[in-house]
Amino acid sequence: MSEFGTYFSIFFAAVFTNNILLTNYLGMCSFLGASREIKTASGLGTAVVFVMAITSALNWLVYNYLLLPFGLEYLRFIIFIVVIAAFVQLAEMIIERVSQRLYHALGIFLPLITVNCAILGVSLFMVIRSYGFWQSFAYGAGSGVGWALAILAMAGIRQKMAKSKIPRGLEGAGIALIIAGIMALAFIGFNGMIS
Amino acid sequence: MKQSKELDQIQDQMRPGVITYQGFLGNDTRKLRDIIESDDEAVKRLGLTHRKIARRLREFREAGKKGLSIPVKVEDAYEVRSDSARGKLPCPFMHAGLFAKAYTIVRCLETEGEIIFTDLNIHLIEEHGFYGGRGSAYRLDPERLASELKVRI
Amino acid sequence: MTAFLIALAVTSAVTTILAVLMVIADAYINDYGEVTITVNDDKKFTVEGGSSLLSTLKEQEVFIPSACGGRGSCGLCKVKVVEGGGDVLPTEEPWLTDEEKKDSVRLSCQLKVRSDMRLQIAEELLNVKQFTATVASLRDLTYDIKEVILALDEPGSIEFKAGQFIQLEVPEYELTDEPVYRAYSIASPPSQHNRIEMEIRYVPNGICTTYVHKHLKEGDKVTINGPYGEFHLKDTDKEMICIAGGSGMAPIKAILLDMVEKGSKRKVQYFFGARAVKDLFLLDEMKALESKLSGFKFIPALSEPDAEDKWEGDTGLITEVVARHVPDASTMEAYLCGSPFMIDACVKVLKEKGMPEEDIFYDKFA
Repeated sequence: MSEFGTYFSIFFAAVFTNNILLTNYLGMCSFLGASREIKTASGLGTAVVFVMAITSALNWLVYNYLLLPFGLEYLRFIIFIVVIAAFVQLAEMIIERVSQRLYHALGIFLPLITVNCAILGVSLFMVIRSYGFWQSFAYGAGSGVGWALAILAMAGIRQKMAKSKIPRGLEGAGIALIIAGIMALAFIGFNGMIS
Repeated sequence: MKQSKELDQIQDQMRPGVITYQGFLGNDTRKLRDIIESDDEAVKRLGLTHRKIARRLREFREAGKKGLSIPVKVEDAYEVRSDSARGKLPCPFMHAGLFAKAYTIVRCLETEGEIIFTDLNIHLIEEHGFYGGRGSAYRLDPERLASELKVRI
Repeated sequence: MTAFLIALAVTSAVTTILAVLMVIADAYINDYGEVTITVNDDKKFTVEGGSSLLSTLKEQEVFIPSACGGRGSCGLCKVKVVEGGGDVLPTEEPWLTDEEKKDSVRLSCQLKVRSDMRLQIAEELLNVKQFTATVASLRDLTYDIKEVILALDEPGSIEFKAGQFIQLEVPEYELTDEPVYRAYSIASPPSQHNRIEMEIRYVPNGICTTYVHKHLKEGDKVTINGPYGEFHLKDTDKEMICIAGGSGMAPIKAILLDMVEKGSKRKVQYFFGARAVKDLFLLDEMKALESKLSGFKFIPALSEPDAEDKWEGDTGLITEVVARHVPDASTMEAYLCGSPFMIDACVKVLKEKGMPEEDIFYDKFA
């Protein structure tokens, strides 16, 4: 497969067959928390794509040019999180400057991106799979898009469901998890698409 | 028990000096959600509803108003004074609710006990089921309200 | 050992570099630079962007009323932002009516100054100033009303109309992290430019009244701002009826003292409602006014005098007493100050006695 083809397949796999949220079950809490409205979900989704793509690239650089040469691979957990935290801060500042409305709508979920395990997960997976720089970037961007896709779909479903009668015990997180499960099952159908 | 961030912020608004001098929580260390739940159960046990209690408080307030800031005798068993101070108080539950600082002091002639409440308290009981934290000097204990103010079932 | 040190060095280096980057980014991204705020197409202020409109204006000595210290929970700090306000924020939404939104009215404590703005602010608000003052004296008028006299420090004098009020700042000394303001009428006449007299009644669980009654001492420094309010004497010759009890006396007293200084010949009847003799205060001052102001009569009315009071004055509810003394109010003006229900009841009586609604003026404690 051509170089470009590899990136494309990594990207596509990250979005569909290897969806960080629906296949690997990472990034659930903000997924459940911020998926009530399409507006908030799309805002958060975009932020996550941005953060995931760039932090996976940044972390690749830090891992390969700083940690490996010094034999400090074991520090990756700490260093990756620090890089992610700093980057999310930056993203917060930019969002606040550009769109105060979005900033307020996202509220606590923006800084919560830092501890979104999906972001750390992407950086760690890229190390495990020994991706190159552009592969990592494609993987990060793809995972971000996959996560955003999942949250948008969830928001759409929940918005439609807002008026339905749901048994009291299942309201909120209960029904959301059931929906997530059904969505995950649906996504398994994509498995045959990419080898 | 953990409570949502919103309730945490609301509980913050209830601290001393934010809206009132002593705040709404006294020395109660429980989370707001637990305070409301336990009072909810107390009210149910009395066979009453928040609405009924609020309605009875309103009756006293209206009766007190007739005194035009001077105490009046009500139902031959209470002395009630209703007055106002300048300004408005926001509801700690952080929805756009502003309440006139109208307060009512009900003195139960039999027990010599004094019950003080504001328009905001009536709203807190009626809409939020909130009676104040334990140990707060201005707590409106549902059992005490029911017995001293003879809230009708 | 070296491995440990290298690990330590690398981790510290990465964290430090990132922290520095964040500081730089913050300074750059959050630096809105200098912007110009134009008020009423007249006054221009050049300010540093980045803070809320409320605090930015406060720094420029334009005091927009606020009771919650900028928390977004009182809805009083509304300002009309004709240009430069950006989108309405979710925290502002609950406080703005549809009409206000159409009119570009915003909640100034929530909106950040990011670009040049054009505002419209009421003229009276532009005259409001902030003052530091020292407590010159504290005196108990009754068991729950305190007379507080402040000597102004900086600026040393205040311009106001008799009947207006000021806001007293409760300091952050122990409870809140942001200042709280409460409004009190000025009881001294405008001719006394460098002092402010107030009558403050204790309100159960009130932030400021508890502070004043339990903690304030002579010599303490306080901050006030003002003057505010549209309650003042109308320049006519009509006979006046004043009705105010308790701390409601404050603006009436200011108006009466002002009338003495201006040599007013108008007839005034001041009805003061209370329960018993122990609720009456400043009786000497009122008597003195009766001799200084030729047309003035002070009429205290007790609703339930104690036996030992041996009361020989009027008794009954203030509305009854007013009705008894004033058979025909059609050519008079009324000035009322007190709780909304007291005022409503009195307005009803005055209207029944023929007073036209536009001649009834009130300062509702609302």
